[in-house]
Amino acid sequence: MKKRISMRMKWFFIVTAFMLCVAMAGQTKTAVTSKQAKIVDEINLSPADIEVFKEQTKQKVDEFQQYIVTLGSKDEPSEKRNMAEKEALKLFYKGAEMEISYIQPDGNVKKVNRPMEKYLARLKSLPYTKVLIRFYDIAYISDFTKGPDGRYYSTATIIQEFTGFSDDEIIYKDITKKDIEIIVDLIEDKFFNEKRWKIFLGDIKATETKVAAP
Amino acid sequence: MNNTFINSFFASVIFSLICHVAYSQEMVNIHPENENRFLVRVKQFNEFIDRFNYKTDFKGNLIDSSFMTAMPRGKMLASLFDFNDTRIDRNGTGYSQEYSENVSGFINTVSKDNLIIDKYSPSIIAEARSRVTYHGKQHIISVYLVQEITGNDMVKWVILDVSGEMLDFSEKDTTNIRFISPGSNETDFINLKRALRDTGYLQYYASENYTPDMLSIFFYCIHNGIITFDYVEDVTYHILDIPGWVFKVREFNRNTLNSGWLITDLSENHCTRKDYLLSLRHNDR
Repeated sequence: MKKRISMRMKWFFIVTAFMLCVAMAGQTKTAVTSKQAKIVDEINLSPADIEVFKEQTKQKVDEFQQYIVTLGSKDEPSEKRNMAEKEALKLFYKGAEMEISYIQPDGNVKKVNRPMEKYLARLKSLPYTKVLIRFYDIAYISDFTKGPDGRYYSTATIIQEFTGFSDDEIIYKDITKKDIEIIVDLIEDKFFNEKRWKIFLGDIKATETKVAAP
Repeated sequence: MNNTFINSFFASVIFSLICHVAYSQEMVNIHPENENRFLVRVKQFNEFIDRFNYKTDFKGNLIDSSFMTAMPRGKMLASLFDFNDTRIDRNGTGYSQEYSENVSGFINTVSKDNLIIDKYSPSIIAEARSRVTYHGKQHIISVYLVQEITGNDMVKWVILDVSGEMLDFSEKDTTNIRFISPGSNETDFINLKRALRDTGYLQYYASENYTPDMLSIFFYCIHNGIITFDYVEDVTYHILDIPGWVFKVREFNRNTLNSGWLITDLSENHCTRKDYLLSLRHNDR
């Protein structure tokens, strides 16, 4: 009797142990699967990534400013200005707009919105032979926030002094604050067959602050 | 807030800027005064929150001990108020002791209890005062937006409500001239057609408890081309995140150290967001 009971106990333990092993294997598989799913669903930027993007944002904004200088200067060859227009547009996300606020003599603010292509095209028709842009090394870039589409959004604020020359004569000068929407998107690189984060510029709000002393 | 404070604020700012050297990105920096002015300017609402929370200094760097010495949190908070507000100018005719005491009390409470604003709080309401075109004429409306967190750490702004004189259908009948008479049912409500031709007073024929849903009306009008949205004139943030208080923040575009996004009004508040929004809509009428 004792022997039978102990045999039964032995089988009981063996079967229980076996079932436990099966259950744990299943659980481990599930845990790995859900961990993988989590990584795929949440492609998050690390703080180190974000610092890199802040630096790259400054570079993109600088690039944009350089194109504006070329576009606005009639002294530059038209081929170079056309290329600047094309390259500047590539910096932007599709549908980006420029909103410019002017302070009118009566103190009221007037706002004008243009699609970025139109804004850049109009820059070419400005009456200046040369354009000088000075901008302060105080670009403020806000934190990157994730949108529902998985892209990251931020805003860069720069202050620029714009001077328009006709030959050597200053015919226009102002100081403008620009708030530039920054979009970080995951773009497929077909050559390397991988996805890479890429920075785009979005809508720009330009506000005239004051007329700088000549 | 008096001239002594304002002078000591400017002194603190200049001292904190000297502690950290800045260079213009252009070849020649001929306007260092301008540069300092723009450094101190609260350039984005995001920057306002960081300064309010005493997280970053005027250069956007994390606050360190030397900055804390030059500019304690109370001073930083005080610097976020609009210095041109006559209510806090002791020497001005518009000075309000009550309001000044409120401001001081608020600053003391926030500093002492180390209160901070949650950047993505649903208690931050953005009021976008906007121009729309309706029947060829321009009108002003306010669009109220709040942030909504969706999924994992994903944020978006959503439209919560809209208000404006042109959307106001809440006026109640006090003359008892316009109504659907008792007994109308027996003629199968023939006079309903007459009532609904009275297009300027349709709401008079609704229940006493009728509350129009402005947002639905606005969406319907936009969808059907009745209203065209032109642009946002300006944005004011209403922040209810600090318990017991509400303050408004808007942008001051001027050529002084005290410029950019600043607190334009502060008051005690014990309303929920919903009730506060309702009060904003009533004030809009």
